[in-house]
Amino acid sequence: MVASATRGKYAVQPQSQEPSSPDERLIYLIDKGKTFFPSQYQILWERACSKLAKAGYGALIPLSYARHSPKLVNILNPEAAINLAASVSLAAIKVNRAAAELLPKAAVVAATELKSSHAFSSWIMTIEELVHHAPESSLAVLERTQKIVSTLTPDRFRSWVLAGLRSTSDDTLRQIQYFSFVDPESEKWFLHEAGDVVFTNLERKLKLYLISLWNLMPPVRDLVASTSPLSMRRISITNGVVQVPEVFPGFHDEQAEKIFRAGLAHAGAHLMYSTKKFTLGELKPIQVALVSLLEDARVEYLAMQAFPGLRELWLPFHTAKPSGPKLVPLLLTRLSRALIDLEYRDRDGWVQKGRDMFFDAQNDMTNPTLCRNIGVLLGNDLGQLRAQFNSKTYVVEPPYRDDNMGLWDFGDHQGEDEGDDGIFIEAMRTTQEDIKDDSSSNQDSEDSDDRDEQQYSARESLDSEHRESEVAIRYPEYDFLTGAERPNWTCAVEYFPDFGDAYKIDRILEKHSNLVNRITNLIQSANVSLPERLHHQSVGESLDLDACINAVISRRMGEIPDPRIYSTTERKHRDLSVLVLLDVSNSTNDYVQTADTSILELELQATSLLAYAMSELDDPFAIAAFCSDGKEDVHYYRIKDFESPYDSSARAYLAGLQGKLSTRMGTAMRHATRDLIAQRTHRRLLLVVSDGEPSDIDVEDQQYLVEDARYVTRSISRLGIDTFCVGLDGSGDSYLHKIFGRKNVTVIDRLERLPERLPMLYFRLTA
Amino acid sequence: MNLDSYLITDEPYYSPTHNEVQLFEAAYVNRMPMMLKGPTGCGKTRFVEYMAWKLKKPLITVSCHEDMTASDLVGRYLLDSEGTIWHDGPLTIAVRQGAICYLDEIVEARQDTSVVIHSLTDDRRILSLEKKNEVVKAHQDFQIIISYNPGYQSVLKDLKESTKQRFGAIDFNYPNPEDEAKIIAHESGIDNKTAAKLVYISERSRNLKGHGLDEGASTRMLIYAAQLMAQGVSLEDACEVALVLPITDDHDIRNALSSAITACA
Ligand SMILES: Nc1ncnc2c1ncn2[C@@H]1O[C@H](COP(=O)(O)OP(=O)(O)OP(=O)(O)O)[C@@H](O)[C@H]1O
Ligand SMILES: [Mg+2]
Repeated sequence: MVASATRGKYAVQPQSQEPSSPDERLIYLIDKGKTFFPSQYQILWERACSKLAKAGYGALIPLSYARHSPKLVNILNPEAAINLAASVSLAAIKVNRAAAELLPKAAVVAATELKSSHAFSSWIMTIEELVHHAPESSLAVLERTQKIVSTLTPDRFRSWVLAGLRSTSDDTLRQIQYFSFVDPESEKWFLHEAGDVVFTNLERKLKLYLISLWNLMPPVRDLVASTSPLSMRRISITNGVVQVPEVFPGFHDEQAEKIFRAGLAHAGAHLMYSTKKFTLGELKPIQVALVSLLEDARVEYLAMQAFPGLRELWLPFHTAKPSGPKLVPLLLTRLSRALIDLEYRDRDGWVQKGRDMFFDAQNDMTNPTLCRNIGVLLGNDLGQLRAQFNSKTYVVEPPYRDDNMGLWDFGDHQGEDEGDDGIFIEAMRTTQEDIKDDSSSNQDSEDSDDRDEQQYSARESLDSEHRESEVAIRYPEYDFLTGAERPNWTCAVEYFPDFGDAYKIDRILEKHSNLVNRITNLIQSANVSLPERLHHQSVGESLDLDACINAVISRRMGEIPDPRIYSTTERKHRDLSVLVLLDVSNSTNDYVQTADTSILELELQATSLLAYAMSELDDPFAIAAFCSDGKEDVHYYRIKDFESPYDSSARAYLAGLQGKLSTRMGTAMRHATRDLIAQRTHRRLLLVVSDGEPSDIDVEDQQYLVEDARYVTRSISRLGIDTFCVGLDGSGDSYLHKIFGRKNVTVIDRLERLPERLPMLYFRLTA
Repeated sequence: MNLDSYLITDEPYYSPTHNEVQLFEAAYVNRMPMMLKGPTGCGKTRFVEYMAWKLKKPLITVSCHEDMTASDLVGRYLLDSEGTIWHDGPLTIAVRQGAICYLDEIVEARQDTSVVIHSLTDDRRILSLEKKNEVVKAHQDFQIIISYNPGYQSVLKDLKESTKQRFGAIDFNYPNPEDEAKIIAHESGIDNKTAAKLVYISERSRNLKGHGLDEGASTRMLIYAAQLMAQGVSLEDACEVALVLPITDDHDIRNALSSAITACA
């Protein structure tokens, strides 16, 4: 079906002088195409054509190749034209005839746009990559060649393809949705690669902006996907959660930053001043729209009283003109402008009336009912003018303003008001319910293609056995194939750890009492820290004034002076904080023969002893554990935080750890770094204890997560944080060395000795 | 030694934020050691100067630092052609002659240095000069004041419990907006309205405390901004120079702060 549609689109129009039988036509095209090639290449090209013709792919593929590939000679070079045959053949074998037939034509489009043969060959390599890994999706991509090559450089194209492959793993259906732009993620990453300013790029500074202005910290999310076209998507505020579209189409660079800022400031104004919801009652859709519009103006009015500069931010978006046809949507934009722009003059009686009523109430702006009253009246007036209002196509303007869904209380009115003028309200209700559904029951959205909503509804879903804390934070992940981090790619979710038996930890210490003694002895002598000045030294880099004076006094008194007249600096106090990050993936359940227990159990024993040492040393420390279930669900368990004591509940959490799921190490390390970075000690150490190579269910490429972890290690070292890894996999040297660097890894080959080795290692590391 | 030069003759400008003046006067009656807590630049130093003036006592201020030794506080023998002479340190001078001794940022000093004040801050009120074999009884007017900023000190750098518990404490914070504006106007010479705007702007920065900033803009920073404005610098430039750039190197925070300041204008 798809194939025929395609054929329709790119149908080969037989030219009048072309013979009608396919065989004859091929001969005709080859004769004609040959003339494009320098003579030494002609025979090669002819051979390529005939090879395709004899391969049994049908008549259309060689025809398409013979017709289009010669064009590449002039744009690029003869080799490109000839080599294309191999790619066409690959597409025919791996994908289908439609794709193979389309490829030569798409290649010409790409070559025309890319112009250089280097760029073209990287384009074709990415196409081949796609053909190998997601054959079902290749056609969709080829069909969009124009859009792709005119927006993305070949590198960026590859990065976008990889984002698709990495986020859909092996799921063909999801791949197709991604590569045909049905999945909103696709557009998002496309725009990201296109270098457009997407919300993600601005999120942090805009959140800080809201804090700075109002001390507001609303949860901010990507907008839940909807079917509405991008240009009609608006910010939406539901129950205090602000959802923001990833892009505002048409707003680039500084403009994009401005509209996101204006939008968040508007949302902030609502959060500050739209404190009570309006009840729907018997309001008509136009009245609902008007009340919302007036409420927008009211909250902005109040916000501008506090922050006059906000006017500069919002005003440029109000571009309505006081002329033109008096259609309701246009009148609404004029009214919006009249309510914010004091210079704006509009002769329209209705707009004037709205403006007068609004500003007459100037002294009563804190009262939202004024919006309701004015809105209802203005709505009636429009009704009397018989002006048409189509609630289905209405979107709030200017685009920085939110959809105002959050202003209305839909609760008690379901089922009523289903007259034919209630569509707008119905539309609003449905959306409202969608949002509610999405965030409450998530059981069946497991296979939903909308991952955004999964993310922020994660709290109510997933393992029913685990309560989950509020924290779900997105992190970038590094793709070594593109050499760049993909923002917001993974999600670390903090789960409450299970409670185990705290005495178990005490028993471990009892069992290892010899070791505990050795640790205690070592503690006496351990030192790490900021330089401290030592006086009264026999060597040193500066004189100690007091000692010098004493020495001279002694000499004058005829005594032998004390030669220790120097001062020096030395690191004396321990000034170090440590975060121990434990891998508790499923493989830690493996049984270790020599110790007659599991790896996890050994990890626990080792960590208990280590924790004992750290708490005795008074080093600030934290313990956390991680495992992962795909990129959207990297479990993170806080066993002990830096600020909390190492008490029985911390020990109970430690004892309660269970081995499960996979090992997405990089994300867990990023999350751990957040805590470590806040530590003010001279040294900060991330100590990772892991039993296996980073891996996850949605990642096939073994190297990918290793490279990400390596990238994380390097970027945290730039923050002044040291990392060290204790590997529990005898064969793990190679990848651990790669991630952490040779010097920063110890592989424990005799696992039964881990409980002993870990604390000792700690002393060595921190001495 | 004559402490006249340590007397403050002109009334320092100090605008009370609360009842700290009365509290301090009451504490002084018993010469109770006092600890002034509060963020940097909120007026602690100015307050001490003001109280010293009000009580007509000389004021000796010592800024503490990591390398400071007990001798730096107490005194040491120095050499001259004849032999050695003892030289009183600032603390000893204050103890002997009845001055107010203000140890600024005491936590910066090493613990073995800060313990020399222990015998002065309990009911003994003596200072022993071990090297000189002398015990100095504190003059009846002597009082010790320390400042202590709990905010940016890490857990590791804190006063000993036995030190802390020798002091009464007064908590300082930024003055309320009207007072703060008055102070800024007074110190810089700009008009009250502009000063009020600067205070309003400072709230944008104080909101970010804990979200990437360790402290919001202090009164001192606001005064700097105001002084720039008094020289004809525009509000936005003055804020950039005095309030935004010094406080952080994080570009997102700078951007948020500058934009919020623009919104105030
Ligand atoms: N209540 C106040 N009355 C008058 N001036 C004040 C007041 N509060 C602050 N100031 C002004 O703020 C400036 C900074 O105050 P000051 O130097 O006393 O701060 P501080 O608390 O001692 O800071 P730090 O802890 O950094 O030493 C002073 O120079 C003064 O101009
Ligand atoms: Mg709104």
